[in-house]
Amino acid sequence: MIKFHPSEQQLVEYVAGDLSAAMLITVGTHIDMCPHCQGHVQDIEEQLSQRLFGDPMAAPASWSANLDMMVDAIIKSPAPAHRSLDDSDNYLFLEGKRFELPATLARNYHRIGSWHKMLGKMWRAPVNLGSDEVLNFIYMGSGAQVPEHTHKGHEATLVINGVFVDETDEYRDGDFVLLDGSHKHTPQTQQEDCLTLATLDAPLHFTSGLSRLLNPFSSLFFK
Amino acid sequence: MQLVTEAITSRKTMSSARPEDPEHAADLLARIAADQSRAAFSELFRHFAPRLQAYATRQFGNEQTAKDLVQETMANVWHKAHLFKPDRGSAATWIFTIARNIRFDILRKNKYRQHDLSADDLWPVLAEQNESLDDDYALDQDLLMQQLAVYCDQLPDAQRVAIQLIYIEGKSQQEVADALSIPLGTVKSRTRLAIQKLKELIHSDD
Ligand SMILES: [Zn+2]
Repeated sequence: MIKFHPSEQQLVEYVAGDLSAAMLITVGTHIDMCPHCQGHVQDIEEQLSQRLFGDPMAAPASWSANLDMMVDAIIKSPAPAHRSLDDSDNYLFLEGKRFELPATLARNYHRIGSWHKMLGKMWRAPVNLGSDEVLNFIYMGSGAQVPEHTHKGHEATLVINGVFVDETDEYRDGDFVLLDGSHKHTPQTQQEDCLTLATLDAPLHFTSGLSRLLNPFSSLFFK
Repeated sequence: MQLVTEAITSRKTMSSARPEDPEHAADLLARIAADQSRAAFSELFRHFAPRLQAYATRQFGNEQTAKDLVQETMANVWHKAHLFKPDRGSAATWIFTIARNIRFDILRKNKYRQHDLSADDLWPVLAEQNESLDDDYALDQDLLMQQLAVYCDQLPDAQRVAIQLIYIEGKSQQEVADALSIPLGTVKSRTRLAIQKLKELIHSDD
């Protein structure tokens, strides 16, 4: 059962296409995994279309004369390119495991870069969005820990598969967590490993003990 | 004001229903898909195009870009009407999602180039395969089982189990997901892959 969902506002911005690319993919992937939000998205689509098309209005006067021509032009236009979905690439392979990707990620499979080891049992692979936005897969083997940190910007994390915990809760498949600078946390895995998708709009800032030494290296987690 | 009244009256004389009526709009799309009905398309165009134009002009502040959006959206309505699935939502909502995708691509084309995210990567509103998926699920259960029972044994275990639970035991995809403790998306993709595989097996026997 998914406990953590994007906000209503984020779902609206997803439907409108007004989120950043990284956030569109992250929220879209959550929606793939979450029947609850799928229902919400349908409602929002209906509301937005109602807002767009609901008002009574007549065609501009200049149109009525040209209407036949406009319709003609469309009917004679070449059909838009045939777009089909290639779903042969639905799986990520890492550390001898196979992870099935939700539809949004499968459609963007070609953007996934190669895996690099970060610290300890953690791996990272970037999702290339063609911009300076940062979206990463983060894989934590079982018993891995990210040193306590806060966020200078926002960090959105979506659990694709597995479980991680921090001081406040436990996060499982489909859980979507948005944190900002006011949150301090130490994500870790226990018996199970965890594959997440994470987007950051600023580097992590480590807050405790020795891990502060990591701050110069926080780009390891970031880019 | 008078123009509006006239427009409505003249439309009423043509047909008692109007595109604001969701059932009628869905019907118009069905006629375009089945018979390339020009009359049905004209009716939809008269209703949706001016609204799209007003919306896009507000969005882009540019008449020509707004026209492009209207043109592209309505061209997809005409050419892709067969992709509209009435059980998924209203015709207006479907047209909205097409316009949303086209707006997204127009906005991003101005910003970046090559590796840029496209609307299709996010919302496969106009992708063909999505739809044949639904037709697959709609296959008559008995027919499917008679023809395919033999082939089912050749499927990988996980896919065979999904097919059995759905087509033999009549469970919903969500129930299968719950029963197997796997995500709904996994059930969907297993089912889809299984049906693809079954199709291949059938064709290879032809
Ligand atoms: Zn949700």
